[in-house]
Amino acid sequence: MSSTSKAWLVAASIGAVEASKDQLGMCRWNYLIRSVNQRIRNNVRSASQANRFSSSTAVASVKDDNKAKQAEESLRTVMTVPSNGLSTRLCSILRYSSSVDGGGSSSGDFGSANDSVSVVVDVQSPNYLKFTDDELMKQCRLETFRVSGPGGQHRNKRDSAVRLKHLPTGIVAQAVEDRSQHKNRASALNRLRTLLAIKVRNKVDLDAYAPPPELLQILPPKSTIRTSSGSQIGPNNPKFVPGMQALLDVISASDGSIADSAKLLGLSTGGLSRLILSHDGLRMAVNSMRAAKGIKPLK
Amino acid sequence: MIRIFPSLRFTSLLSAAKPLCSYSPAREPPASFTEAKSSPETNSLSITPKTPLFLRTPSHATSLSEVWKWHDWAKDLASSVEESSKNSEDVLDSVILLRELKWLIEDSIVDDPLVILHRSEISDNGEKNVKLRASLEELYDLWRQRIEKRRPFQYVVGCEHWRDLVLCVEEGVLIPRPETELIVDMVEELVTRDEWFKKGFWADLGTGSGAIAIGIAKVLGSRGRVIATDLSPVAITVAGHNVQRYGLEGMIEVREGSWFEPLKDLEGKLVGIVSNPPYIPSDDIPGLQAEVGKHEPKLALDGGIDGTDSLLHLCHGASRMLQRGGFFIFETNGEKQSKMIVDYMMSNDLKDCFSDLKIVSDFAGINRFVTGFRL
Repeated sequence: MSSTSKAWLVAASIGAVEASKDQLGMCRWNYLIRSVNQRIRNNVRSASQANRFSSSTAVASVKDDNKAKQAEESLRTVMTVPSNGLSTRLCSILRYSSSVDGGGSSSGDFGSANDSVSVVVDVQSPNYLKFTDDELMKQCRLETFRVSGPGGQHRNKRDSAVRLKHLPTGIVAQAVEDRSQHKNRASALNRLRTLLAIKVRNKVDLDAYAPPPELLQILPPKSTIRTSSGSQIGPNNPKFVPGMQALLDVISASDGSIADSAKLLGLSTGGLSRLILSHDGLRMAVNSMRAAKGIKPLK
Repeated sequence: MIRIFPSLRFTSLLSAAKPLCSYSPAREPPASFTEAKSSPETNSLSITPKTPLFLRTPSHATSLSEVWKWHDWAKDLASSVEESSKNSEDVLDSVILLRELKWLIEDSIVDDPLVILHRSEISDNGEKNVKLRASLEELYDLWRQRIEKRRPFQYVVGCEHWRDLVLCVEEGVLIPRPETELIVDMVEELVTRDEWFKKGFWADLGTGSGAIAIGIAKVLGSRGRVIATDLSPVAITVAGHNVQRYGLEGMIEVREGSWFEPLKDLEGKLVGIVSNPPYIPSDDIPGLQAEVGKHEPKLALDGGIDGTDSLLHLCHGASRMLQRGGFFIFETNGEKQSKMIVDYMMSNDLKDCFSDLKIVSDFAGINRFVTGFRL
């Protein structure tokens, strides 16, 4: 691995610690991203070259191109830095590091987070939930369950199940129940959104906390911070999912304390508990956070 | 134009619970290089499409307890399928069967299927009457056909869910495959990138149930036009019926005949050609999964010795029929065929006819589709 790539890896792990509100270092950071991207692109393209026919008409396996694109995407999305920027110290590390070794805790392969249970990216990752279905789908690898054999006309087995792997985070969602593969794709994507909300944490600053609109809309009307008079979005509404993510971010930042989180959201402890218990995935995520801190679960 | 008589179909469905041979259509000309003339005797207007279960009137009723009895019997039958065949592709899978049973219930029983499936929540001892779209006797027959005769599930319920559509299918029509859904995705991607393709004529060759034609018509927008052709009169009837059900008669025309034969008026004028032609090598057909080999129309499956007879014919047709810049997608059986077709399209007569030839894989990673543009 080149020293630039190593430096980038170190930066990533340090960035987790150093992320701050300084408005610095964007241009240097972007340069690093571009050069690493180019390296990845070159590597993957040379693999797909082997598949090309030697003729004037270019024939390529689109699958390989997709893989290249996905590798790029996963790289790009993980490395996107918000307008907060990075601290000066981080930027100087990037510029001056030449022979850094062993600092990076992660492997270079952001495409496969092995442990799908743990929190995935601490660096302020892009909010995947804000992506459209198309954009999110592009970050995924779609797989269909199948046994060996040519498929297509050869086969008629109603297992239009699909498995979606979100490459930047490694999270996998699957759907089997729908009668068409197409519908299962949509179900799997919705399920992925829920999993992303549950598993990917964004940092929040509790001292200067401003709840985002997606969170406000899932709070009960009783909440003293609720500004709009719109009705409360319930747990079965797809719009609940981004709100759930924001809520988990707050609870996580409060170390699992419902009381502290409730205060921030203008709710009673009971009111917040009720909200958490209204959605199975939300309840389980909160309880695992509490278990990790040695607090007993909500029931 | 095409009239549907549900009551007539009921009797024919009962008689379908007879030996296997009655499922295969009598007429099956083998695919060949030359265009076959369609036989005038089998007028497609004389065939009425079968009504799928989910569209039938719920004119039957029985008690919930009787339905539970049937459900128990059906589940037992599904769970007890043995691995009698050495061919792993030919084995019935209990998991899949139980899922199909759930769908059969959805299509045939009017009340909330959960009433059937989650019995503990019912307290009235199953006295309640349940409305059915088929008689209880027929439900027994249908499931028996599924398990014992390996009749495809889709023929049993008379429909297939494909993409965001529900298509009527019956014996004599190929059941649209999930892989083929990608063809519509690729067309959608193309027309989004280049609106030129939305304004011309597309052709779906060997349309079968009309799946691809309907799928692409929905992404082409109001200016699009699709001509769907098929040699089989049953396919013409069923495709026409499906087109009608989706209100697309203004956009899709179904023409009976062999491949490009009914499209002579559009030579050199098509902006797009799509096809899922028969691509299974003849020798492979006996070894296929029973649902496919013994029940689906050979006309839609048999592609000759290499499986490429129809595909090669389509390659020539594409060069003749597409206008400059026109686009095509052909589905194949995978690796070897795709490469072979691409090679074929770059040599001899077809050399310099096409550009940007690509092989696109399906979600299982098989190099399933060949695409390209007419130079």
